[in-house]
Amino acid sequence: MHETASGRAAEHHALVCEDIHKSFGTLEVLKGVSLSAHKGDVIAMLGSSGSGKSTFLRCINLLETPNSGQVFVGGELIRMATDKRGEPQAVDRRQVERLRTRLAMVFQSFNLWSHMTVLQNVIEAPVHVLKKPKREAIEQAEALLEKVGIRARKNDYPAHLSGGQQQRVAIARALAMDPDVMLFDEPTSALDPELVNEVLKVIKDLAEEGRTMIVVTHEMGFAREVSTETVFLHEGRVEEAGPPQEVFEHPKSERFQQFLAGTLK
Amino acid sequence: MDFSIITENISEYIDGTWLTIQLVGMSLLIGLVLSVPFAVMRSTNRIFISGPVWLFTYCFRGTPLLVQMFLFYYGLGQLEFIKELSQSWTFLQNAYWYALFAFTLNTAAYTTEIIRGAIVATPYGEIEAARACGMSRSLVLRRVVLPSAFRRALPAYSNEVIFMLHGSALASLITLVDITGAARIINSRYYSPYEAFLTAAAFYMALTFLIVWGFRQLEKCWHAHLKPRETN
Repeated sequence: MHETASGRAAEHHALVCEDIHKSFGTLEVLKGVSLSAHKGDVIAMLGSSGSGKSTFLRCINLLETPNSGQVFVGGELIRMATDKRGEPQAVDRRQVERLRTRLAMVFQSFNLWSHMTVLQNVIEAPVHVLKKPKREAIEQAEALLEKVGIRARKNDYPAHLSGGQQQRVAIARALAMDPDVMLFDEPTSALDPELVNEVLKVIKDLAEEGRTMIVVTHEMGFAREVSTETVFLHEGRVEEAGPPQEVFEHPKSERFQQFLAGTLK
Repeated sequence: MDFSIITENISEYIDGTWLTIQLVGMSLLIGLVLSVPFAVMRSTNRIFISGPVWLFTYCFRGTPLLVQMFLFYYGLGQLEFIKELSQSWTFLQNAYWYALFAFTLNTAAYTTEIIRGAIVATPYGEIEAARACGMSRSLVLRRVVLPSAFRRALPAYSNEVIFMLHGSALASLITLVDITGAARIINSRYYSPYEAFLTAAAFYMALTFLIVWGFRQLEKCWHAHLKPRETN
């Protein structure tokens, strides 16, 4: 399908990102970040704020368009080019929209659609993007809401739920797309400490089911316990990457050692 | 206060009310239909799309409705081709269409700005969430941006509807017999301004009451997501 070596390798991966660069104006946030995920991998991305981890996650589904680099979703390269003004653009908007349905995202601030009920939030994209029959979408949504433990609130509006409940709805909304890869952008950072665990537990369950996930997080314990690979980003570069046992026990990079010392205090 | 003047001429007021409702209803309806695409165009950052709409809203919000109506009614009549057209299309001789035209464009301009404000205030995260699950631009607009913008626009729009109702009184200045037109006729017939205009005021208040009630009902179902949680 793709003639490049990386293209061939990418076919065996759920997700491959190669040498992603991203600048905002003169500020270079990502200086060449690569990452690949096999089916079932749970990759935890760590890093202090400003390290570029959220930007990287947003480059995967093109909420930010990388200035250079390649993204393969299930072996398919997202085609990008530079427009007249020198801004990077996706070549085929349809392709991006199609591949986004395979990459569900969960946001730090939940981003539920406030004028829709919990159930409407979950069935919205399956019905209008995937064109699922409504009845089928509702059945599936109720099962997912049951799974994240919030089915009783299905007719409530997001504003009437706690942060933890809203984030669980957002996870159900992401799952309703039956995605190949789930992207979590600091899913617990906006939550009160006592609500963090209910959300982490849901994510952990998904990991155990074999979902492929990229999780940007500040939760060290979670990264260590749940991830199959931990990646530490510093100033737009991967400083340390490997299985969590290895990187947490024997961190090679000085930055990561400092980071661990700082956060585990 | 001579109530017999009112009771004897009540049918004039009722006919006038009917005309007012027609004029205001039609102009609001067409104005609303125009204003939605206008508001969408106005909120893009492409100047050649938003610019013309900006100019339109600026002109119609920047001048009095009365001046606009006079320009259409007296001004258009001066144009040769309108004169010729009105030979065959006699409806062009009727002041009603000029009033409707002016009212429609006027309310379209204000409503465009109301909806534009509501569109711009859409929480950006909700738009990103919609894009992230693969929605196309038009789907994001249709399913997320506009439904939430209409809800935000509702209170401001109810004001626009009431302003339009009262603004429609100007139609009486170009020969139309709306509520105010009826009042002016009664006043000149009996020279009794209190009876004539207080009755008109009462009719306007009754219509306003209906509008306010209607918007309350709409808010009840459309603003359920903003209501404080019921304690249970």
